Amino acid sequence: MRAYAEGLVLALISIVAIWGAWQVPAASPGDTWAGIVPFSASIALLFLSGLLLLGAVRQTAGDTGQEQDSGATLQIIGLFIIALIYQQSFRWFGYLLPTAIAAPVVLYFFGVRSWISLAVSVVLCPLIFHLIFFVLLGVYPPYGEVFDLLSWIQG
Amino acid sequence: MEIFPALLSVITDPSLLFAIVLAAAVGMVVGATPGLTASAAIAMLLPITFYMSPLFALAFLYVIGKSGRYGGSIAAILFNTPGTAASAATQIDGYPLARAGQAGKAMKVATISSVIGDLMGDILLVVGVGFIASIALKLGPPETFAIYFAAFVVIGSVIGSSIVKGLASALMGILIAMVGLDPISSEERYTFGSFDLSNGVGLVPLMIGVFVLGEVFAQLETRRKASGETEENESTADGNSLTWEEYKPCLPHAFRGGFIGAGIGVLPGLGSAIAAFISYGEGKRRAKNPEKWGKGALEGVAAPEAANNAVSGPSMAPLLTLGIPGSTIGAILLGVFLIHGIQVGPTLFLTDKELVYKLFGCGMLGIVAYGLIGYFGATQVARIILKIPTNVLYPLIFLTAFVASYSARGSMFDVTVMTCAGFAGWLMRKYDFNVAAFVISFVLAKGAEETFRQSLLMSDGGALIFVERPIALAFLVIGAGAIAFRVRGIMKERKIAKGALEDA
Repeated sequence: MRAYAEGLVLALISIVAIWGAWQVPAASPGDTWAGIVPFSASIALLFLSGLLLLGAVRQTAGDTGQEQDSGATLQIIGLFIIALIYQQSFRWFGYLLPTAIAAPVVLYFFGVRSWISLAVSVVLCPLIFHLIFFVLLGVYPPYGEVFDLLSWIQG
Repeated sequence: MEIFPALLSVITDPSLLFAIVLAAAVGMVVGATPGLTASAAIAMLLPITFYMSPLFALAFLYVIGKSGRYGGSIAAILFNTPGTAASAATQIDGYPLARAGQAGKAMKVATISSVIGDLMGDILLVVGVGFIASIALKLGPPETFAIYFAAFVVIGSVIGSSIVKGLASALMGILIAMVGLDPISSEERYTFGSFDLSNGVGLVPLMIGVFVLGEVFAQLETRRKASGETEENESTADGNSLTWEEYKPCLPHAFRGGFIGAGIGVLPGLGSAIAAFISYGEGKRRAKNPEKWGKGALEGVAAPEAANNAVSGPSMAPLLTLGIPGSTIGAILLGVFLIHGIQVGPTLFLTDKELVYKLFGCGMLGIVAYGLIGYFGATQVARIILKIPTNVLYPLIFLTAFVASYSARGSMFDVTVMTCAGFAGWLMRKYDFNVAAFVISFVLAKGAEETFRQSLLMSDGGALIFVERPIALAFLVIGAGAIAFRVRGIMKERKIAKGALEDA
């Protein structure tokens, strides 16, 4: 089942890639087509996905595949969703506020259960990262469009 | 001869020396921490090097890579958990030695052998790199494309358990690299109308995503499966010291391992794990005491350690002379060169020769630095690692990945790319796709496309140009041969496994 899924996902990616390469306009005279490499690579990928599917068909019926830890997968998907929300919230609230919220959440995910440690991380994580990257290295911090804690602190 | 003034210049620069020693210590800790890799550390530190001089940045990351390879042996010997894939061969004899109270002795053998192998690799690199560059200067676009092709195929098919998945990973890396404006015609490719995508996918966020965030996801999964605490094996008073009589039989194995590692290092994609296992196998075959190997032979530590570290220097040869990184660390270093506006390839030895030799000099001093720290303080490093609370470490790495990917260009789109690349990297690891082939192909794709299209223009659109030129044809044959060789190897393994199953 897993081998079928892998082959089908790869086939889907390659079909989207072929379609994307096909959208590249034709070359002007004396030039090479800009889509030639993406098109060739996606055709090759389609061929490989075919090989994966062929391999899946040949697999013996008794082969049930590897045991999956669905709990771990769910945890990782949860962490990925947190990551997506965290990066998106930079645009809305700048760097400090999202980091102050994300730090204890991620620490909790990794098994930290001490409330004092979690509370300390709310202050220390944004402070240390801000000092290293935005003060010492001089990177311009992302500005929060809705509310920016840094601007509020700086008045 | 350029290496001597370069070494003198590095030795007389205190800030550079400090960076080398710091990198040696950081690399050792990172390499020795199970689950943390030198690639992840280098990818995470990459944005910081934007604010350093090119030599400082390159030396810092290059030495972390070298020291990280060595650091893997500390965890392999003391905790029975290889810090890196390459140190798995060291574990075979290293851990039994540690169990017998000879952890200190095994660590000293690993350190001396690593220094010997690494220095051999670097000396061969210094001697041979100019020669390779002079040949590379004579190659035209068809030959260069054929070398790229061979690199794609070798990297995709040799690493990992599945050729199909390895090659598919390489192709996906190429397709991701195609996103954005075509550098020749400025036509949009795979942008789907997005302005952000028209600038392409950045190397730094992709690497941080795949190597750093992907590793955090993988660690979350590993933590659920892991059971028990890691314990350090204490050395007895006698097991901590190493005499010349004890190391003498290891010396031939270290030198042989050095040559094996250096030879394998020049070939893109093979990497230090393969070198270490080949050296171990060859060492055991030639050993006077093969019955002791696997049960705690000092020679069994020396052979893989020398080979594993000897890969480091020569793996820079294809990167510097052809722009083809042979490893993930090489791919990241290529990114550093590009960030600082240095064009890697045969012309590098005409435009930035001094920088290249100074980098080699830093590498050699880095070997001495990690050798000294390792010889006198490996067990202390191990104690530090045991004290690192991983449940705090990985969340901090998670948060660093975001701010580091933002810092590269001050772009929020890069942070989104990093997050998606992290999840994709974890998925690829989980389903046995080849992350190294994916990243290396991403880095190589632009150069390969350029040479491919230049070749087509030279031949008026005919693909026969790759067959008509002997050097190009030879590299195409090497690529095809690599696949055939690998398929044959896998079929042989299956036959043996089937035979064993029937016997049972």
